[in-house]
Amino acid sequence: MGETLLSGLVTGSVLALAALGISLIFGVADIANFAQGPLLAFGAMLGWWLTAQMHLPYTLALVTVAVTTALIGALIERVAVRPVMAAPRIAILLATVAAGIVLDRITQIIFSPETRVLADPFPHIALTIAGLHLGAFDAAIPAIAATAALLAGLFLAKTSFGRAIRASAQDPDAARQMGIDVGSMQSLAFALASSLAGIAGMLAGTYYRNVEPAMGTSLGMEGFAAAAIGGLGSLGGAVAGGLLLGVVQNVGVTLFGGAALQVVTFAAVLIAFWLRSRHAPPAAGAAGAGFFGLRAHVSSRPLATIALAAPAFCIPLFCGPYVLRVGSEVAIYATLGLSLTLVAGTCGTISLGQVGLFAIGAYASALLEKDLGWTFWCAAPAGAVVAALIAALAVAPVARLGGQELAIATFAIGATIVALILDLDPLTNGPLGISGLPPPVLFGHAIVSARDDYLLAIAAFFVCLLFVERLQSSPLGLTWRAIRDDVVAAAASGISPAAYKTLAFALGGGIAGAAGSVLAAQYLYVSPDIFDSNLSVLALTIVVLGGMGNAWGALLGAAVLVGAPEVFRPLHDYRILAYGIALLLLVRFRPQGFLAYR
Amino acid sequence: MSAAPSRSQFLGALGSMALAGCAASQGGRAGSKEAVRFGVSGPFSGDDANYGRVWRAAMDLASNEIARDGGLRGRPLELVYEDTQSNPRQSLVVAQQFVDDPSVLIELGDFSSAASIAASPVYERAGLVQFGFTNSDPKFTAGGNYMFSTATSVRQDASIIAHRSSRLGRRHAVLFQDTVWGKSASGAYVEAARSLGVDVVATQSYLADAKDFHAVLGTVRAANPDVVVYYSYYTDGALLLQQARDVGLTAHSVTTGACYNQQFITLGGDAVEGIVLPVEFFAGEGRQAVRAFARVYEARYSETPDLFAAFAYDAVRIAAWAVERGDFTRDGTRAALARGMTIPSMVDGPFRFGPDRRVARTDETWLVVKNGTFALWNGA
Repeated sequence: MGETLLSGLVTGSVLALAALGISLIFGVADIANFAQGPLLAFGAMLGWWLTAQMHLPYTLALVTVAVTTALIGALIERVAVRPVMAAPRIAILLATVAAGIVLDRITQIIFSPETRVLADPFPHIALTIAGLHLGAFDAAIPAIAATAALLAGLFLAKTSFGRAIRASAQDPDAARQMGIDVGSMQSLAFALASSLAGIAGMLAGTYYRNVEPAMGTSLGMEGFAAAAIGGLGSLGGAVAGGLLLGVVQNVGVTLFGGAALQVVTFAAVLIAFWLRSRHAPPAAGAAGAGFFGLRAHVSSRPLATIALAAPAFCIPLFCGPYVLRVGSEVAIYATLGLSLTLVAGTCGTISLGQVGLFAIGAYASALLEKDLGWTFWCAAPAGAVVAALIAALAVAPVARLGGQELAIATFAIGATIVALILDLDPLTNGPLGISGLPPPVLFGHAIVSARDDYLLAIAAFFVCLLFVERLQSSPLGLTWRAIRDDVVAAAASGISPAAYKTLAFALGGGIAGAAGSVLAAQYLYVSPDIFDSNLSVLALTIVVLGGMGNAWGALLGAAVLVGAPEVFRPLHDYRILAYGIALLLLVRFRPQGFLAYR
Repeated sequence: MSAAPSRSQFLGALGSMALAGCAASQGGRAGSKEAVRFGVSGPFSGDDANYGRVWRAAMDLASNEIARDGGLRGRPLELVYEDTQSNPRQSLVVAQQFVDDPSVLIELGDFSSAASIAASPVYERAGLVQFGFTNSDPKFTAGGNYMFSTATSVRQDASIIAHRSSRLGRRHAVLFQDTVWGKSASGAYVEAARSLGVDVVATQSYLADAKDFHAVLGTVRAANPDVVVYYSYYTDGALLLQQARDVGLTAHSVTTGACYNQQFITLGGDAVEGIVLPVEFFAGEGRQAVRAFARVYEARYSETPDLFAAFAYDAVRIAAWAVERGDFTRDGTRAALARGMTIPSMVDGPFRFGPDRRVARTDETWLVVKNGTFALWNGA
C-alpha cells in the first residue's frame, strides 16, 4: 500500500505540472484552453531535440523550451484568441481547439511521429523507498511541481505584471482606464500558461523517459482532469488535484486493473463535481445567451422543413457512392450536432460529452440486434431511449452547476462512458467491439449500398430535425429559452433550472443516441475506437459553426466539418493541418456561425 | 465585422465545393488507362502515424523495384495511399473511394483490425480483395471471402509462444495493451498456456497510450510470476520493461514480434536485455531475399526494417503477383490468392493461403535482446 501511495504521489506530481497551465489560463482569462495538450507534446519533443540532437545541457534546454512555448502561447493568443474576443465566448474555446489541431500536426511534421528517449539529467542514484526504486529525478518531481506552482502564484499575486493580468481578466474596462494594455496582458497570461505547459511536457517526458508527438492527448486530458478536481482556476488546487488524482489512479489500477485508468480518472472528476455542486448556489452562473451570442426566435414550420429537405433526398440522383458515403457521415454527425442544438442553442448549456451518448445509442442498438434479434427499426429508437435515460441519470447530479463547469462535467461524463465501454468486457466485448451486425431491412430490402445508407442517415436526420423544431417552438422550448436568457428571472418565476436543464440533456442525449444507432447500422460494427473524445468537440464545432439555435445549422456545419477533411485529401500529409487552419479561419471570420440570426 | 465575408459568399463557396465533389466522383479519376492501382488504407497521420511511415517506406521500395523490372506486364503500378488514421470512421469512406475506382485492383491495409473490419462489408460487396496484412484478429478474415491476411493469427502465435515460454517457468503473468490485438492475442495465450499445464497467475491489461505503469506492474509482481509475457508494441513495451525494473519485477520476459524494432532497444535501454520474442521476419537471417531487402532498406532509410516493414513490402509483392496472375481483374486477383499454391513471399518463401485465407505457421524464429541488439535465441 505504501508503494502504491508513493508511486501515486510521483505520478500525481507529473499530472499537477500538466494541470498548472490549464488552471492558470482558466483562472486569469476564464478560458478553457484546448491547446494546452498539444503544447505539452511540443515542449516534450523540443526538449528531446535540444538535448539529444543539439546536445544542449538539460537546464539550458528546459529554459529554451519555456521561452519557445511562451512565444507560441503568445502567438496563439494573438492569432487565434484575440480576434474573437468580441465574439461570443464559445468562439474562444473553438479557436483554442483549432489552434491545438494546427500545433499538434506541426509537431508531428517537424519531429516525425516517432517515439524518442528523453534522457534523465540526474546522476543515477536509485533510492528504494517502500519497495519502489526511485531515481533522483523521480524523487525531485514533487518538489519541482510545488516550486512551479509557488512561483507562478507569487508572480500573479505580487508582481505588477501579475496584478495587471488579473485586473485585465476581472474587469477589462476598468483595467483599460487605469492605463493597462489589456490585450498585451492577455498575451502575457497565455505566454505564461503555455510556458508552464512546455516545461511540464519536458519534465513529464523525462519522468516517462520516452516522448512522442501523440503524448499530448492523454497527458492533456489527465491534466485537465487534475485541474478540474482541484477546482479550475486555482494553482494550489491544480497541485492538490494532481496529487489526489495520481493516488486515486494508482489505487484504482491496483484494485481494478490497468484498463480502468480512464474510468477511474474521469469518475474522480465527476465525483468532485457532484460534491461541489451540492454546495453550489442554485442556478448560479449559467453560460446563458451571452456565451453563445444568441438572439434567436424559433418557429416550427413542418411543411417548410419537409420542402427544404426534398433536395437532400435527390442527391443520390446526381452523385456517386463515394460522395454518398461522405454524405451519410455528414448526416450522422449533423444528427449528433442536433443533439447539441437542443442542449446548447435552446437552453444555453454547453455539452462536451455527447460522444458518450452517441456511443451508448450505437452499443445499445447493436446489442439488441445481435443478442436479442431485434430489428433495426425497434433497436434504434430503443438505443435513443437508453441514451436519454443515461444522460438524465448522469447529468441530474451536476445540473446545478453553471457554464463552463457544467461543460467540463459533461466532458467527464462522456469520457467515463467511453472508458466504461472499453472496460465492461462481459457486456460490450471490450476493445473487440461487436461485429457482424445484420443490416436494417425495409420491406424485404437490405439497406447496405452507399445510396441506401445515405437515405437512411438523412431520413433519420430529418426526423430528429422535426422533433427538435417542434420542441423549440413548444412551451417547453419557451421555458428553456427563459432559463437561457435569464436564469435568475426564470428561477424567480418558479422554474427549476436544474430540472429543465436535465430534461434538455436527456432529450439531446436521445438524439445523440439515435445518431449512434444509425452509425451502427451503417458500419455494422461498433468498437471503442470509433468513439474518441474528439467527437464531442466535433459535435460542438458543428453546431457553433452551423449556427447555434438554428436546427438547420447542424446540417450545414456537418457538411463543412465532416466534408472538409475529405475535400483536403489531395493534400495528403498536410490534410489535418489544412483542416485545422480552415477551422481557425472559420471561427475567426464567422464566430457566430453560418445560420445565426443577427 | 468588416473583414468577414457575407453569408452568401460563404454558402456559394460551400455549394461549389459540394458540386466539385460530385463532379469528381462522376467523372472518375484521371490518369493513364494502363496504370494499375493498389489502394493503401492506413494510418498516415494520427497516433499510429509511425506505422504508416514505415509502411510507406517499405511499399515505395517494392513499387520502385516493380517499376525497375518493367511494371506489371508493362503496365505501371501506382500505390494510392489514403490516410484513415487507422480509424473505422475514415476507413469506410476510403473503402468506398477505392471500390468506386475501377483501376484499383486490390486494397492493402488497414493497420488495425478494427479499421479493417468496419470497411470489410464494402470490399466484400464490391468484390475487391482487402489484404489486411497486419490484421491478426481471426474476425477479420472471417468477415468475407475477399479478406486475406499474412499476419499470423493470434491463436497460432499464442501456441508458438506458449510452447517455448512454458519451458522458462510454470507461473506465468500476462500483460496486454487493451486493444483489439492485445485483448484477443493475450486471451489466446492464456488458453494455450493453460492447455500446457502452465499456471497463469495474473492477467493485467493497460491502456496503450498511458505512460505510467508502476501500479499495474506492482500488481503483477505481487503475483510472483516466473515468466511475464508482454503483449505490447515496441513503444509501450519499452516503457513497461523500464518501469518493471523500478518496481523490482525480475521474472523472465517474453514478448511478440510487434517489439521487433531497433527502437525497442533504443527506448528500453538496459531494461530490455534478455527478453525473448518470436518473429516471422528477422533482418539478420541468412536467406538471400531477406538479406537483399534489409540491405536496400537500410541503405535508403538508415534503419533496420522491422516486421511491419517486411509485411508491407511483401504485401505489395504478393499483390503484384496476384494481379498479374489474375489478368488484371478484381475477381482474378482473388482467385489467384485463393488458389495459388506457391505464392512468392520474402517472409515465408513460396506459400499458400489456408481455407481461412491466412498463412499457417507452426514455429517462428526466436530472438533475444543481447548487448543492445537482436540475436538468434536457441535457449529453452
